[in-house]
Amino acid sequence: MSCSCHDQDPLIPQIAVIKEVRVDTHDVTTFKIVDSFGKKPFEFLPGQCAMISIPPIGEAIFSITSSPTQEEYIECSIKKCGTVTDYLHELEPGSEVGVRGPYGNNFPVEDLKNKDLLFIGGGIGLAPLRSVINYVMDNREDFGVVDIVYGARTPGDLVHSNDIFDVWPKEKETAVHLTVDNVSKNWNGHVGFVPNFVKTLNFDNNKIALVCGPPIMIKYTLQALEEMGFKKEQVYTTLELKMKCGIGKCGRCNIGDKYVCKDGPVFRCDEITELPNEY
Amino acid sequence: MENITKKIRAVAKQALIDKEVDKILGWKKGDLWSDSYPVFITKPEDTDTLIWDLFCINNLSKFLIKELTKHDKIGIFIKGCDSTSFNQLLKDNRINRDDVVLYGIPCEGMVDPEKVKKIMLNERVREIKKHENNFTLISKNKNIDVSGEEIKYDKCITCISPNPVVYDQLLSDEVENSKHSGDRFKRIEEIEAMSPDQRYNFWKGEFQRCIRCNACRDICPACSCVKCVFDNEDAEVSGKAKTEGEDTFFHLVRAYHVAGRCVDCGECARVCPAGIPLDLLNRKIIKDINEVYGEFNAGMDSTTPAPLVTFKLEDTDTFSKKGGK
Amino acid sequence: MKKILKTKLPELWQKISTDFDLFLPIEKNKTLNFSLWKDGEKVNLDKVRTTTSSKHLVFPQTETYLKFKNQNNKLSLKAVKAIGDEYVIFGVRPCDVKSFKLLDNIFLREPVDTYYREHRDRGTIISLACTNPEDTCFCSSFGIDASSAPLGADVAAWDVGDSYIWKPQSEKGQKLMDSTKELFTDIDEKDIQNLEKEKSNIQEKLEDLPFNNIDLSKIKGTQQEIFDKEEIWNEFSERCLACGTCSYLCPTCHCYDLQDYKGNNHGEKFRCWDSCMSSDFTLMAHGNPRTTQMQRLRQRFMHKLVYYPKNHKGDYSCVGCGRCVDRCPVHIDIVKIIKKLGGENNEL
Repeated sequence: MSCSCHDQDPLIPQIAVIKEVRVDTHDVTTFKIVDSFGKKPFEFLPGQCAMISIPPIGEAIFSITSSPTQEEYIECSIKKCGTVTDYLHELEPGSEVGVRGPYGNNFPVEDLKNKDLLFIGGGIGLAPLRSVINYVMDNREDFGVVDIVYGARTPGDLVHSNDIFDVWPKEKETAVHLTVDNVSKNWNGHVGFVPNFVKTLNFDNNKIALVCGPPIMIKYTLQALEEMGFKKEQVYTTLELKMKCGIGKCGRCNIGDKYVCKDGPVFRCDEITELPNEY
Repeated sequence: MENITKKIRAVAKQALIDKEVDKILGWKKGDLWSDSYPVFITKPEDTDTLIWDLFCINNLSKFLIKELTKHDKIGIFIKGCDSTSFNQLLKDNRINRDDVVLYGIPCEGMVDPEKVKKIMLNERVREIKKHENNFTLISKNKNIDVSGEEIKYDKCITCISPNPVVYDQLLSDEVENSKHSGDRFKRIEEIEAMSPDQRYNFWKGEFQRCIRCNACRDICPACSCVKCVFDNEDAEVSGKAKTEGEDTFFHLVRAYHVAGRCVDCGECARVCPAGIPLDLLNRKIIKDINEVYGEFNAGMDSTTPAPLVTFKLEDTDTFSKKGGK
Repeated sequence: MKKILKTKLPELWQKISTDFDLFLPIEKNKTLNFSLWKDGEKVNLDKVRTTTSSKHLVFPQTETYLKFKNQNNKLSLKAVKAIGDEYVIFGVRPCDVKSFKLLDNIFLREPVDTYYREHRDRGTIISLACTNPEDTCFCSSFGIDASSAPLGADVAAWDVGDSYIWKPQSEKGQKLMDSTKELFTDIDEKDIQNLEKEKSNIQEKLEDLPFNNIDLSKIKGTQQEIFDKEEIWNEFSERCLACGTCSYLCPTCHCYDLQDYKGNNHGEKFRCWDSCMSSDFTLMAHGNPRTTQMQRLRQRFMHKLVYYPKNHKGDYSCVGCGRCVDRCPVHIDIVKIIKKLGGENNEL
């Protein structure tokens, strides 16, 4: 901000409160976060991220999983995979953390209007997609047919089970297609990797695809979509790299001339093709 | 020097042609008079770029750790200080003797470009010629004759091992030991003579200039840990903070960690962009070791147990008793 | 324009330092750095290159920005203001002056880094033309004129033998000169001649420098094509020690890390210089996109020569100051790399 009335440095977090903790899976927990007045900490667009800090443990960036249309709080679904996330998972409602943001670009929801949408998620990759999906559901008339393909290692690794089993399938013109990597006793659904599953679903390629998941899943899913006749301009995905500042200055999340924290995390696939393969 | 360059090229070429080695580590010349740098060669035809001149200061031994993970057998050109580092790497079990062919080069000391620039103040140096015992510094407008003592690295002037102590082949006649090697601890004695406060302020002033680039650590043949504690985020050491405490901590930990293993090659001080005389820290420890345990110079061979890193049950000050008492 | 006799400099330093922190190139042992001037310090204005650049004045190596308490997950946070007084820095060479502009591109872009802005706003920069450029200087390759009054300097200065000529270039610069005017005298025709002579002397020396033929426009290829020249990147990374000397001496390297000083329930968060050369720079909990030194070294030079220009209207993130050329422990330097990539004009 260039006016001196808001002369707070962008690196300074505000205090936020964990309002609710919901355990999704053995290693994923969703946190509802509000500011110190109990309100939504900041406005954002689907796909954008929040930097959460627990001094002195550290600071890390997470995609926001709630929809911008949710006016009470922001939600982040966080997988336990490092120092900061390990600590976060121990926190109880009422705990305070630092939060700053929103960071990065967003899924271009305006451009998606009136289009048929194909969401493809893998594992914790559903987190950022859920923000768009719920945004679409809250503005259902503006969008066409919605297909959600989602896979995880095991049925126990599927996150946001309430949404995928109970909420989204009941929405108008919306279908949820689930798969797991490994055969499991309590599973009657499809078994197999997401990219292959997408191919068997025979979608017509007039849709816009939004893909998010682990790098290897993204890689093969993009190939599958290409085989299905999707043009690169029809496919969006998100990239993830180490970030510290979140504002394109600290210099570590670049792929070629693009900074994932500022120019991403959402990229249209034709943009990715132009980047060096270093992510 | 030209003769040695010829020998280096011939030896390297033959070794690669005969497949005696997979790779050669040597030195190459850049565009400037002082620019001689490490080069890695695998093709016999590239050996013609190898050189030996007054600026082959880089100690090549440490590169063996990394290179031997990619190649079975490596040929390396080594000076005296490179050879002691080599022995130390053997002793530290970082490399195997059988994987390396050593071509020793006796060394009369390398020239410090900074000293030359100081003498030739604001004149562009074009060349340095070596005569029997002295040198001519040549610029566009003037020539200056100087002695070796005026332009060689301090560490070379007091060098104690100008001849390689381990080699498979020696490329030239051995050279005489430096007549100033006895002055090695002169500067240490000066610092020892300071009062504790003076000494503290001396080092405080030196460490203040540290920019935490880690060049001293990264060039050091004794710093061969796979993962340095200062690179480990979980080690609770704020490795990148530039504060008096952190700077001092870094350098003292490093000095103690290489104690008894430091071969006094002086590369730490040479590469320090802040000009901190880091070699003095280690030389002080070497001096203390000499006084307490009898003379010991790390790297003179690869078998003698080193003080401070060797433990015997009959030691009076054992670790096995409580608190070492 | 005014001039000041060299013999009056101590008085000038005294005068300036009563109102400002005064930073001058000060010699300590083997190094020359922009340090806070106090009476008795050894100022050296003849050597063009300071050991470290002047960037630490606007981008300190370590800077605390937040103090915190964390008691049973109840937080209190207190933003820390940028520390420092108004300062004057004299003797900044045209290359380093340009580097401020390149750093501005990063730190003053929205959202503005307020610490950097504070440090920038508090400074008055006085440039000094390079009477004796060094062998390893190649600022001309970046359109920098070492004999000139560089854009971005509040005052430009030249050494004309027994005195310095000062030319104010901004309101700040004029103000500083007004406040010290009793030490300056007006210049006459002869001084103008001396100034022109000094400029052409410098020009002549610049043309004679070994890296005079560096021409970045000769580097051909797309981002991808240059990125893919692995043979070149490997050749250099083979001997790279992965130390941070190049990054930390560089006036334009701006990467930083955010870390915590860990105390019991309380501490500070600080920002510090970081280097893309270090192995943990891009390390994440679930992987690292740059696992080899080749990739890390490539990043540094791609950033300076390709990525940064793409993002900043063709400006390179290098000013040809030559510090990395001079100090890389294994003589990997940006000139060698530019040449290898074809950036040489062989017709000169």
